Amino acid sequence: MDDLTEKLKIKLIEILNLSDVTPEEIDANAQLVGGDLGIDSIDVLEMVVMVEKDYGVVINNKEIGEKVFSTLAALADYIRKNSPNLSS
Amino acid sequence: MNGNRKAVYIAGIGIISPLGCGLDATELALRKNNSVIAPLNVFTTKQSPALPVGQIREIPGISSLPRTHQLGIVAAKQAMEGYALAPDAVIIGTTTGGILTTEGLLASGEKNSEKYSRHGLTTVAEEIAQQVGCSGQALTVSTACSSGTVAISMALKMLQSGQAEWVLAGGTDSLCRLTYFGFHSLQLVDPEGSKPFDVNRKGMSVAEGAALLLLTTEKPQHPLGRILGSGLSCDAHHPAAPHPEGKGAASAMLKALNNSRLEPADIDYINLHGTGTPDNDLAESKAVRSVFHNSLPVSSIKGATGHGLAASGAIESAIAAICLQKDFLPANTGCREPDPDCKVSPVLQPENQPVAAVLSNSFGFGGNNACLVISKTDCSHVHVSGNRNAPLTILGKACMTGVGHTKESMAAFLGKETMAGILDLKTVSDKLPARKVRRLKRFSRIALALAAAAHEDSGREQAPHSVFMGSGWGALSETYDFLDKLQKSNEQFPSPIDFVGSVHNSAAGQIAIMHKATGANITSSGGDYSFEQALLAADSFLEMDADKESASAFVLAADEGHPQFSPLFDPSIEPATPLADGGGGFYLCKKAMPGKLSVRLCHYEEQTDTSPESLIAALGGKDTLQLNCGTILAGIPAAWSSVGEEYLKNFTKASGLDIPIIHYRKFTGEFASASAVAAVMAVYLLETGEVNPDKKILVLGFGKNVTAMEFACQ
Repeated sequence: MDDLTEKLKIKLIEILNLSDVTPEEIDANAQLVGGDLGIDSIDVLEMVVMVEKDYGVVINNKEIGEKVFSTLAALADYIRKNSPNLSS
Repeated sequence: MNGNRKAVYIAGIGIISPLGCGLDATELALRKNNSVIAPLNVFTTKQSPALPVGQIREIPGISSLPRTHQLGIVAAKQAMEGYALAPDAVIIGTTTGGILTTEGLLASGEKNSEKYSRHGLTTVAEEIAQQVGCSGQALTVSTACSSGTVAISMALKMLQSGQAEWVLAGGTDSLCRLTYFGFHSLQLVDPEGSKPFDVNRKGMSVAEGAALLLLTTEKPQHPLGRILGSGLSCDAHHPAAPHPEGKGAASAMLKALNNSRLEPADIDYINLHGTGTPDNDLAESKAVRSVFHNSLPVSSIKGATGHGLAASGAIESAIAAICLQKDFLPANTGCREPDPDCKVSPVLQPENQPVAAVLSNSFGFGGNNACLVISKTDCSHVHVSGNRNAPLTILGKACMTGVGHTKESMAAFLGKETMAGILDLKTVSDKLPARKVRRLKRFSRIALALAAAAHEDSGREQAPHSVFMGSGWGALSETYDFLDKLQKSNEQFPSPIDFVGSVHNSAAGQIAIMHKATGANITSSGGDYSFEQALLAADSFLEMDADKESASAFVLAADEGHPQFSPLFDPSIEPATPLADGGGGFYLCKKAMPGKLSVRLCHYEEQTDTSPESLIAALGGKDTLQLNCGTILAGIPAAWSSVGEEYLKNFTKASGLDIPIIHYRKFTGEFASASAVAAVMAVYLLETGEVNPDKKILVLGFGKNVTAMEFACQ
């Protein structure tokens, strides 16, 4: 598993206060919203803030948002492709 | 004891909104059908370009009061114009209170707590009451965007039941950074300005304003309309999003019709909540279609004004009165191409046509729904209602203090030890499902723990139908964290989670979700008397179905001690005062049950002098008191110690009572909801036989207000 995905898992646990979950337990390819973690639209918006703040990637469109936040792997991909802060 | 339910007339209206000041200016603006939504300039932001909002260009009069207070006072004075009397009560819906002023003070690093003295929501109602000479109850409801409508609903109940003859009620909210950036962080703001029900709508426009209605049971010479009925419900679905099928909204509309004894066909026009967010408008139109026929004229005025939050329902009630007076329908400004998915027909141009009855919808965070039916004056209906101010039966109790949950708290109390302190968050939440409360901070967790414990203590499988919550200061952690992150990120990265959690009714909304409580859901904020205000609200709204099992509720109050905010906001907390927090409350029902304990709010009045006559009279007089009363739990907030002590001394002397008096704040510590803990202490003493169970216990409050709750065996 790549570094970015691992970092995102840790950030996810922290900002969404998933205190009973460990990074290893998060499946990067599992459905993120409405899945086992109980993540909903408000959590997605909190992640939007984090993605913009930490990676300089703005997501302000519902359609794009739905795709980007479908799985953690999709989010990592999108950040990788769009972040000015990450050297690819 | 059923009696005739009295007719409630609108005697006066005050309104100030982005459309203008006064009814005439409002009507003129509505007839022009132009949006007045424009880029923010009430305060400066680092954001560019500024988002479009609904703002008031000029507030008449010069005042150093916070903007929410100023707007409310303008509306209050207009509503009272031509009346020399003082209303019996003032009921204000607000979510912002003095926050705009607080935001400026915090940014400048102001540490003097006196400068924050108008932060609290309750200060808005208190200031308005003072300005209109009302020394009766000054009550505050904070149910997010339905607040103004809930305030008018409460006034309606109070008037119908004969508790008051004149009530000034409505809502006021000013623009502030919390709501401006908060709704933006939720991506709910339309960058082009809101256009409700349009196929291309992208969201709302945050706005400000105030409207107050002078309501009375004495038919005025020129009544402006009648309030026929109201309906409240809770989605119990999500903290910020509406139920996708509009289930709760439909239930509130049906309740309002039922309460008014009208059929759907009797309604001529619906003033929709219609914020312009894709989800709200879709859910609301589904709800409307489930109750009404498709061709009924409907419109939202929020495309013209923006969304005045707590004021919006009151502003729209005032506009409903214009519709009735002028046989006029305002347009759904901004809607060019109605969304075919919504399948409603918004009025696209202002129209003149007969209107006899209007339904006005207001929905808010926490799944809070409130609807009013407003009619022409000659609509006549006779109704019956249950008795008000009767004792409420206690089915379960719970409290939390610095030493633990109910058991630990009561053990400390009996051992004459202090319960004051801040319980660690882990213990606060130890019985709550970790995953479900992960987003919630201290205030909401205390409230949820109390609800769960009161339910468990009742031994009943069924949870209550309604929630009445009190809090002096609400969600301080979320409010602080939101503003802190906003400032530290140079206004770039406010937290949506903190914004949703910061509203006063977030805890009550969470309780509703967890316990599937779909009935009325009201959060009251009355400083040190917030629990008493919650009890009063429960008393008003549980009357209708007194014999039904659904006439049951959680009545709770909680406050969190916050290291930065509590000493700044609460006048009873000095910087050196050790922080304390917690709360308490009950699972109650309206139905009398012999053998069970009951609570009754006997007295709630502003303290104007220290003569105890009205309190003694409210408690049945000197002789009754001496015969029935066994113990007093007295609460005197530190900020009111000298006047409170004097009042208590006068009370015991004049009543001739020679019984134990327990100063409960010595045990609980200083926090606004301490009286909720005292209420549980009273029940505990009676249940365990620590005091003579044949005698009543009084929980008295002396300070800004004088209050009395009576606990007795039925």
